[in-house]
Amino acid sequence: MRAHGPPSRHVPQPVEDRRLRDLHASTRTNMASPTSEYVTLVSCDGFEFIIPRSAACVSGTIRRMLDPSSKFSEAITGRCTLETLTGIVLEKVCEYLLYNEKHKDQANVSDMDIPPELCLELLMAADYLDT
Amino acid sequence: MGSNNISAAQIRDDYDRRVTEAARQANEETTAATAENQDPEFEPEPEPESPEDKTKKRKRQQAIERIKKTKEFARRKARRTGEPDDDDDWLANEIADEKARPAPGQLENCEICGKRFTVTPYSKAGPEGGLLCADCSKNQAKGDGKKAPPKKRAAGPARRQNQSKLLDGLTAHGAQSLLEMCIKKVAENIEDVEEFGDLPPPVMHRLSQILSRRRAVTSRILNLFLRRNHRELNIYDCAHLHTDDYHRILALMPDLTKLNLRFVTPMKDHIFEYMIENNKSIRDLHLDSPNLVTDDCWREVFVKMGPRLHSLKLWNLDAAFDDKTAEVMCENCTGLERLKLKYIAKIGDGALKAISSLKTLKHLSLCFMKETEPEPLLQVISSIGSNLRSLSLEDFKNADDLLIQSIHDNCHSLTKLRFARNDLCSDKALASLFHNWSNPPLTYVDLHRVRDVDMSNPAGPPEPVGLASDGFIALMEHSGSRIQSLNVSSCRHISREAYETVFAENKQYPHLRHLDISFNGPVDDYIAQCILRCCPALTKFVVFACFKIRDLKVDKGVAVIGTIGAKLTVEGIVQAETM
Repeated sequence: MRAHGPPSRHVPQPVEDRRLRDLHASTRTNMASPTSEYVTLVSCDGFEFIIPRSAACVSGTIRRMLDPSSKFSEAITGRCTLETLTGIVLEKVCEYLLYNEKHKDQANVSDMDIPPELCLELLMAADYLDT
Repeated sequence: MGSNNISAAQIRDDYDRRVTEAARQANEETTAATAENQDPEFEPEPEPESPEDKTKKRKRQQAIERIKKTKEFARRKARRTGEPDDDDDWLANEIADEKARPAPGQLENCEICGKRFTVTPYSKAGPEGGLLCADCSKNQAKGDGKKAPPKKRAAGPARRQNQSKLLDGLTAHGAQSLLEMCIKKVAENIEDVEEFGDLPPPVMHRLSQILSRRRAVTSRILNLFLRRNHRELNIYDCAHLHTDDYHRILALMPDLTKLNLRFVTPMKDHIFEYMIENNKSIRDLHLDSPNLVTDDCWREVFVKMGPRLHSLKLWNLDAAFDDKTAEVMCENCTGLERLKLKYIAKIGDGALKAISSLKTLKHLSLCFMKETEPEPLLQVISSIGSNLRSLSLEDFKNADDLLIQSIHDNCHSLTKLRFARNDLCSDKALASLFHNWSNPPLTYVDLHRVRDVDMSNPAGPPEPVGLASDGFIALMEHSGSRIQSLNVSSCRHISREAYETVFAENKQYPHLRHLDISFNGPVDDYIAQCILRCCPALTKFVVFACFKIRDLKVDKGVAVIGTIGAKLTVEGIVQAETM
């Protein structure tokens, strides 16, 4: 595992939450089903994030990857490897995807907090992911 | 005062006497009550029929009646306006309870734990009305925390921000896109950015818009935008840039095809000379206010660069650029498709005559400062009108029905039409423009301030001048099926009946997104509701000075701009007053 960027940055630790591990296991077993409720996003340095499919599909790129009619391997396994994104950035992206899902129908939603040192990389990621 | 047998001192004394009396009476009651409760073993089971109890009740009733007459009561009541009136008894009871409390400094037994403690102003009332000791008060407060009604939020920055967004036509609902959020964040922290890296041009464009709006584009920030491999540069505020900066732009981006700079006052002749030599691929030149450039230089630019220009947009020129320069421009710009000349002081009829020769033009937008004669404009329309996709004519005060007729006869491929600020054209001419017009339906129509202005006759002449009822009905019949944006602000002779006809129950304008009907007096709640019904795609609805709009039910996603004190209900939720 490699740590990217300046040392001041927070490097996400693999989550030890048991619930999440169970979930992880269940997605692994559900791999073959393209309509599983959860999908896995993998960063280039190996971090895995399991989030609801509906949230992930806010991103146009991920939506097209997971579209069952596309027959992409991502659509079949429910697992998207995003080679251009580091774990730090992908963590923030996932945070946004869930934040978006949570505030879907609310009026006057305040902006999510984005650390300034991350915002340029996140900007590139957002452009790539079409969110 | 004295002469009327009224004395302030007497009134105050009377009042004080009444208050102390009430307090004494109330005190008596509580001491009696506490005496009863003193013994922890004692179960307070008052016989309802006991005579003593009745007296107490009566006394309390009297005290309450007295309290109802006091100023304190009136004041509290005034504060609670809006609540049902039968609260009087409850309110008086509350005051009586407060009065019955021991004053701060006295000793009291805690209602919950029975501990003896000193009463302070912060002691809380217990569930039965008695007082609580400090510890129990704290515990009680924790439980109460949730029940306390949320304080009404003061009108602060959030409200302002929302209003600002609304005026931009953005209805806040759902989160913004991550891209937009990041762009905003980058713009906020632009001082710390050393390099943009490989940002794609659309993102750079948006960043430039935000930074320009904040007037933050300095030489240092300009450097971030100068990328050798990019073909276009858009900076909307160059006011902080110096002459050297323009040199840098041209030197570092020799392959530019589009140069779009606004507020470029320090741009001088020698920069244009450098551009002619160095930037051979510029095809789109959009410049706002390059006022230090001389006519000679402009002519040279057109002679050397003219043939390769596809679009030319110039704004705010007053020191140079005259009719002769315009002629040179038209002679040399042989491939020009898009021309915009706005707020240019020195050009007039001569320039119009020259523009008539630009046979390749597809988009024409003119707004002169000088008054022009009607004929040259007619010539423009008759010679190049048939090729035009969009036509925007503003402030041509002398344009009359003949021009409208000419547009009808010559233009057959328009999608956008702006004809604004004119008070000569008649409603009849505008109606006949849209009747049997071979032009396909328009998507963008702006006819703002095409109306009669006569202070002494606000109803207008009997033959309506400007866009009035017939013209409006004809316009919507012609273009309703495709129209996306319509501005008829200040066309105040459109009648209520015309609105009713245009926005009748069976009509639909499926693509109309922006509608401006400001200063159209006849629009009331009913008409506005009809408009919202007929335009399902509406996102921006501008109604400044439509004072008859008082109560409007709006769908989510529609920004209603300009109501004053009207009640807006968005999907059943009443909005705070907007202005």
